[in-house]
Amino acid sequence: MGERKATVAAEVGLHARPAATFVQTAMKAPMDIRVAKVTGGEPVNGKSILQIMALDVRQGETIVITAEGEGAEEVLDQLASIASTP
Amino acid sequence: MTTVLAPVEGAAVGLAAVPDPVFSAGMVGPGTAIDPLRGPGKAVAPIAGKIMKLHPHAYVIVGDDGKGVLVHLGIDTVQLKGKGFQLLAAEGDRVSAGQPVVSWDPAAVEAGGRSPVCPVVALDAVAGAVTDVARGAVHAGDELFRWT
Repeated sequence: MGERKATVAAEVGLHARPAATFVQTAMKAPMDIRVAKVTGGEPVNGKSILQIMALDVRQGETIVITAEGEGAEEVLDQLASIASTP
Repeated sequence: MTTVLAPVEGAAVGLAAVPDPVFSAGMVGPGTAIDPLRGPGKAVAPIAGKIMKLHPHAYVIVGDDGKGVLVHLGIDTVQLKGKGFQLLAAEGDRVSAGQPVVSWDPAAVEAGGRSPVCPVVALDAVAGAVTDVARGAVHAGDELFRWT
């Protein structure tokens, strides 16, 4: 199981444009993508904009993204990069 | 099937008319947008359900079937940090379709140099799931589109 931590840098948090970009990239991945706050709580589906919005990640909060399977490391790098882009 | 109502009065112009590619390219999801009537008004719930997220400038209502509809009041309005918006409900509230959620003034948003156009988006909807999209004049509470 691959894992990346990323601190959300966008002023709006993981909402609007960052959320849409994140989910669009996650949708292209063949494997399940799970996202949780580093502080805990149930992981949500990284391919669902509704669930990502519900997770309500604010600027400065850190998320843990997990994925498993061929190409997971690349996908995780991309997603972590999107989440940490201001 | 979910019938999604117009949250504000104005002209249904389609997502392509939204001056923000995150909406106009359908990145958030399918739906439409309303160019709102200028002047003080109340934005209402587009469907019955629970208010999952409530920001002054945007809200998400999730129906009992799990479908979520996003209403965004103007573009880049997050920058206003709530100024000019008044919440008429609270996050977690259950609302009926057509119930007022936020009062605001599209004319004031426009006067501040921002577009007051309101995207109404079916979250996680697949392409083709949104049909019967209204065009032209709508009142708040009129049928805006159907989501199958």
